[in-house]
Amino acid sequence: MTRHMIAAALLASVSAFASVDALAESPPNMLVIGTNIGGIRTLDPAANNARTVSELISNAYDNLVQTKPASIDKLEPMLATEWSVSDGGKTITMKLRQDATFSSGNPVTAEDAAWSIQRIIKMGQVGSTDLALWGFTEENVDKLVRAQDAHTLVIELPIEVNTDLVLASLAGSSVGIVDKKTALEHEANGDFGSGWLAANTAGSGPFVLSQLRPNNIAMFDARKDYWGGAPAMQRVAVMHIPESGNLRLQMEKGDVDVGHYVSSGDLEALSKNPDMAIDSVPGLGFYYIALNTKDPDLQKPEVRRAFQHAFDWKAIQDNIMKYLGSPWQSMVPKGMIGAPADPLNRHTYDPEMAKKLLADAGYPDGLKKTLNPSSDATLPIAEALQASARAAGIELNLVPGEFTPAFRERKFEVLVGNSGARLPDPFAVATQYAYNPDNRDEARLGSYYLWRVSQQNEDLNKLVDQSMRESDAGKRADLFKQMDDIYSKMDPGLVIFFQRSDPYVMRKNVQGYAGHTTWSTRWHDVTKK
Amino acid sequence: MTVSTNGRGAMLSADHDFDDPEPSRVAALARRLTGRVAAIATTLLGLLALTFAMGRLLPNDPVIAITGPEVSKEVYDRVFLELGLDRPVWEQFLTYVGKVLQGDLGVSTTTGQKVVTDLLMVFPATVELAAVALLVGVGLGVPLGIVAAVKRGTVVDLVARLIGLAGHSIPSFWLALMALLFFYAKLDWFAASGRVDVFYEGLVTPVTGFLLLDAALDRNWDVFWNALNHIVLPGTILGYYSVAYISRMTRSFMLEQLSQEYVVTAQAKGLLPRQVIWRHAFKNIRVQLLTIIALTFGGLLDGAVLIETVFAWPGLGQYLTRGIQMNDINVVMGSVLMIGVVFLIINLASDALYRILDPRTR
Repeated sequence: MTRHMIAAALLASVSAFASVDALAESPPNMLVIGTNIGGIRTLDPAANNARTVSELISNAYDNLVQTKPASIDKLEPMLATEWSVSDGGKTITMKLRQDATFSSGNPVTAEDAAWSIQRIIKMGQVGSTDLALWGFTEENVDKLVRAQDAHTLVIELPIEVNTDLVLASLAGSSVGIVDKKTALEHEANGDFGSGWLAANTAGSGPFVLSQLRPNNIAMFDARKDYWGGAPAMQRVAVMHIPESGNLRLQMEKGDVDVGHYVSSGDLEALSKNPDMAIDSVPGLGFYYIALNTKDPDLQKPEVRRAFQHAFDWKAIQDNIMKYLGSPWQSMVPKGMIGAPADPLNRHTYDPEMAKKLLADAGYPDGLKKTLNPSSDATLPIAEALQASARAAGIELNLVPGEFTPAFRERKFEVLVGNSGARLPDPFAVATQYAYNPDNRDEARLGSYYLWRVSQQNEDLNKLVDQSMRESDAGKRADLFKQMDDIYSKMDPGLVIFFQRSDPYVMRKNVQGYAGHTTWSTRWHDVTKK
Repeated sequence: MTVSTNGRGAMLSADHDFDDPEPSRVAALARRLTGRVAAIATTLLGLLALTFAMGRLLPNDPVIAITGPEVSKEVYDRVFLELGLDRPVWEQFLTYVGKVLQGDLGVSTTTGQKVVTDLLMVFPATVELAAVALLVGVGLGVPLGIVAAVKRGTVVDLVARLIGLAGHSIPSFWLALMALLFFYAKLDWFAASGRVDVFYEGLVTPVTGFLLLDAALDRNWDVFWNALNHIVLPGTILGYYSVAYISRMTRSFMLEQLSQEYVVTAQAKGLLPRQVIWRHAFKNIRVQLLTIIALTFGGLLDGAVLIETVFAWPGLGQYLTRGIQMNDINVVMGSVLMIGVVFLIINLASDALYRILDPRTR
């Protein structure tokens, strides 16, 4: 009898369980994004510039100006409705809109805008790399960036600089305008509210963070009182789904609407699904092989040149790289001023030539090095390099993992990585790839990739500085051409093979989600059919 | 009167002391407790020394771990002094122990939160998953092992051994993906990732951190069923690997018992096979089984990395792996310490259970 009762109870619970209707498609007024939020440490705009977190910040915070995904070189109004440059290119004056409010209800004022810029410089975190370039320092920023009245912001420039660059930098996600009053209410130990802003938002954007759990979920609620109109999506759930196969299944079933970081194999499969659209957004960066010139072997130019001919990049351009990038071998991104027409013959795969170069450098029996991918995303490329380099006499011991931190600290031998930039101008890429003002270890200039590989070239430094000051487009194009010429001839520690693109997978019923080249993808206009 | 330090000796000497049994019993108990506490303290101290050494020996700059690599020399020096890195190692160790005792495991550089806060969030998720897995593992593994031993050499035994072999040879992430493909994508029975659907997020106030328990306490049955629906696939896959192990071990323990003379005697007395198996043979393998189950549970807590990744389960495995990958030393030290402490607790609990199950250990 008892046994029968247990069996009946079991059966009843199983049938009740199976009837749970938990797996319905995501609702029409909710956007579900499947991505990897494993690396998100804080949502404070001043402390961020990476891809996923930039998207989250760009929806909770407004910028003074913005660029739209379809026209990234055209600056458009956002919190600032108009702006002018005076004083011989030394002063920028911006008029702010009067109807914008923060999620707290406080009005957006020029004082908030000035304070937001001041705190970026004073905090000195990654966000400051975009603005410190224009000569702002902890000491001068309060004086130079200030509110003239409640809705007029004045930015004085301490050095001669192309104001177009300065204005474009204000569209970056790090320069999201923060609610000064709210942030200061939560300030602790003079941190400008940064501790609190790590897991809370205080912006004037169309969404406000309602929940954040590391390695799990970030949930945003729409603001009905947003100055640009209430968004169609009432909620946006950003889910941590690190495994690409799982993400693909959830997209196919409609539980997830937008997918980031989908692997090449899954992208290929999803491209054949009529319910899916893949938007491969060209990025401001490259896939490269980094060679640490602090290493005695890699210090030799012949060895670095051997690497230029040891990678069979053509073998992966139609599979692994199909949605991740297009072949490119110049430090000036395709389609930008100063870019060469067709730089695809600089690094041809030629194992024999690589072997000869190694022999000339004193390695007739080949060379052994440790190879790291920057992260899981670049592992397939590192594997391809390992295989093709073997034929060229280079034995690479591939150690997978997360090696970006080690790369930033110069603790690596050979690494395969990718880069991105926020400023839609070749100058931004040039500062990463061609600029290194101080090559000492103590300088800790991890944001300059050339410093990471321990290379320095005074001519390049001068040209990069000039390109920052110069306003004439023709002259600037010439500067970038000169840089590219020097760079390609110096056997750089950063060997460029592909220009980056970021694939976004969307279900076809999702409209208006447009991946942004600088990662400031906004959800305000997203609708679902 | 002399009292032996081990438990059994103490009991014996107390039994012979007819005039005044109580004080010596109490003394024996006190000594035993003192010994136990001393042993725990020593183990904990060893564990702390190990995690501390780990933090110092890894090729990782503790200052950079906090400030990030793009730090000015002034800030670097300030943080260096704040961390007390200029002081002797033993002093640094004492500071570390002091902080741990106050519940301060530092701040994670990857999540930006206190490691304790993170652990309180990820650890219950993992325990919940491991508990379901253990339920599956014991519920299927023990009966399967017994049947295989009793029916040795038959088809049943073969199937049981095949299940065990498969559990040892099929990669867990592959099995997990196949399960997703079949039970989520095709049949639509179970959910694919996380602990609960996004629509149910935040509906239950976390009290214990165990979502199933919290939902039940809150009497929010929608969330409860949804959470149960989410835990079935990862829990079962994870449990399957313990089924393989537990059934194999149960089978070999049982085989050993079944060949003993007392079993033959019991059979000769005319006892039913069921009585021989459960009342005699099984009773004698309980202690061994308990050891295996306790170890399995410990292993499930930190060994679920792949399953947690595939099912996007926000647990300790993912947290620790991410910490290792990102050089987040506080996370690594905190998590290892946590796992160590849990192993210690499991050991203590199984010791206590031994005493109940096996009179010889009392």
